[in-house]
Amino acid sequence: MADPLSKTAVEHVAKLARLRLDEQQLAAYRTQLASVLQHIATLEELDVDVVEPMAHPLDVTNRTADDVVSPPMDLDALLANAPATEGGYLAVPKVLEDQGG
Amino acid sequence: MSSPATIASTRLKIGLEIHVELATRSKMFTRTANVAHPDHFDAAPNTLVDPVVAALPGALPVLNRRAIEMSIMVGLALDCRIASFSKWDRKNYFYPDLPKGYQISQYDLPLCADGALTLPRPDGTVKRVGITRCHLEEDTGKLGHELPGGLHYDGSLVDLNRAGTPLLEIVTEPDLEDADDTVSFAKELRSICRFLGVTEGIMQRGHMRFEPNINVIIQTSDGHEYATPVVEVKNLNSFRAVKGAIDYERDRQVAAWREDGLVMGPGAKSTRGWDDTRGVTVLQREKEDAHDYRYFPDPDLVPVVVDDAWRETIAASIPELPMKRRARYVSEYGLSPADAVTLTDDPRLCDFYDTAVIATAAATPDLSGPAGLAVAKLLLNAGAKRANETDRAIHELGIGPEQVAQLIALREANEVGSTAADELFGHLCQTDEAARAVAEREGLLQVRDDDALDAWVDAAIAAQPQAADDFAAGKDAAAGRLVGEVMKRSQGKADAKAVRGKLEERLR
Repeated sequence: MADPLSKTAVEHVAKLARLRLDEQQLAAYRTQLASVLQHIATLEELDVDVVEPMAHPLDVTNRTADDVVSPPMDLDALLANAPATEGGYLAVPKVLEDQGG
Repeated sequence: MSSPATIASTRLKIGLEIHVELATRSKMFTRTANVAHPDHFDAAPNTLVDPVVAALPGALPVLNRRAIEMSIMVGLALDCRIASFSKWDRKNYFYPDLPKGYQISQYDLPLCADGALTLPRPDGTVKRVGITRCHLEEDTGKLGHELPGGLHYDGSLVDLNRAGTPLLEIVTEPDLEDADDTVSFAKELRSICRFLGVTEGIMQRGHMRFEPNINVIIQTSDGHEYATPVVEVKNLNSFRAVKGAIDYERDRQVAAWREDGLVMGPGAKSTRGWDDTRGVTVLQREKEDAHDYRYFPDPDLVPVVVDDAWRETIAASIPELPMKRRARYVSEYGLSPADAVTLTDDPRLCDFYDTAVIATAAATPDLSGPAGLAVAKLLLNAGAKRANETDRAIHELGIGPEQVAQLIALREANEVGSTAADELFGHLCQTDEAARAVAEREGLLQVRDDDALDAWVDAAIAAQPQAADDFAAGKDAAAGRLVGEVMKRSQGKADAKAVRGKLEERLR
């Protein structure tokens, strides 16, 4: 049996996914995620040394398009989907200098 | 803690990450126009967006084949191994410039790896810089705080035009040891990318962004060696900033080490930004989980397989690179290194030059000296002068490579004088006609007709009796005034050599 998933780990994953969880949800997800990890641990028991890693479930490669331009979507339609706009821009609350990428 | 011993020497250790926006016509994973392509540089905000870019539900990515080919061109130019199999991964994080909530990138199987670029230094030595990998990803949108018209907005304004632009990330080994080599490398890489035609390389537009990883190896007088913690300086978009950030970090890191003695180790790496106005780097606050990207293979995209045939086709499309051209111009044509650099600054000028050289060699096979030298002299004198005056590039003045060859042929045959040649160059910028036709019409061909020359020489002797006496008495310097007089009377059209012959005939 693998180590049960810590509460802190669940909180960390929730934060990365921008989810705010209450104590009840934390406990529920902790149990569910632990069983997922348990399943992975079971899979890890398999000897896959001779198996090629699978990059994609479909046995298909090189689905590419020619480099030609097609029209953009209607600007008004785009802006209509945004919570707020300003001078053709999508307006969002001020972002601090914690650049993600 | 203070340092235990005095510092005997310091040595910089620098690796570079370079982001190159590829100038495909359409985006990386959808066919809406790419803002890094010259046709769309100044598109209004959010006008290069479609459902894939905006991440509307159900929108699916389709890979741009040209972006793959451009990346492979760069990889081959940097002597990389091209992966026969590569795939796409999602890098997950939340940020308003990233509508999907993930960036499509390549995590463990990059398109190109294990290359090198060997730079010649001005002192004749070379510097080899290892290339770790080049992988393809998509650029993000842009965040601003200024409304059209310059009004400040108290929030963040998102422009998604740049979102989805193909972005090639090139990572070097930490082989660089000073700011000058690093800047030379950065400039050469930009030049290579421009000659390959994969980017316009306009730094102010962010077509190339440089991120140096910098630390300092400190040797103390007691024989110990200390490596300061690595600092990554983000998003530099000028060569001046690259140099400034490296020089600043060297001093700052040594001072910091004296102060706290901290050395490289897990968790010691930090990220800084460059303040261009103050010329300093500034610590950027990062959340501790900022690098927890949870990469996983993107199920929406199938892998890319590059077989030998495709790779060879791409390899065959690679033009002669700028470094090789410069070497050829110096060794084969006898150009100065500085002139060779000028001619290889812009790939279009360089191609114009090469075409003109070939045309010149064909038009005047018995040219006295290399055609490359004659063309370079013409372009860098008559051409550069007009380019400066009109604020245009030499290859955009209007004169064609064939006309350059024709002009040089006329000059070589001494059918036009040097002043007339310069004037003819100017006329050829305005017309597509052949150089001889223009020279005839504009009266720029040298006159070698005996009667005409005799008349001018007679008049010159009459007008400059003292000079004529001096020349007759053996003072060679006096010939200048007489020839000048003939040129004045002939409006520059007299063949100076023939005039000189006639003066000797007449006066000696």
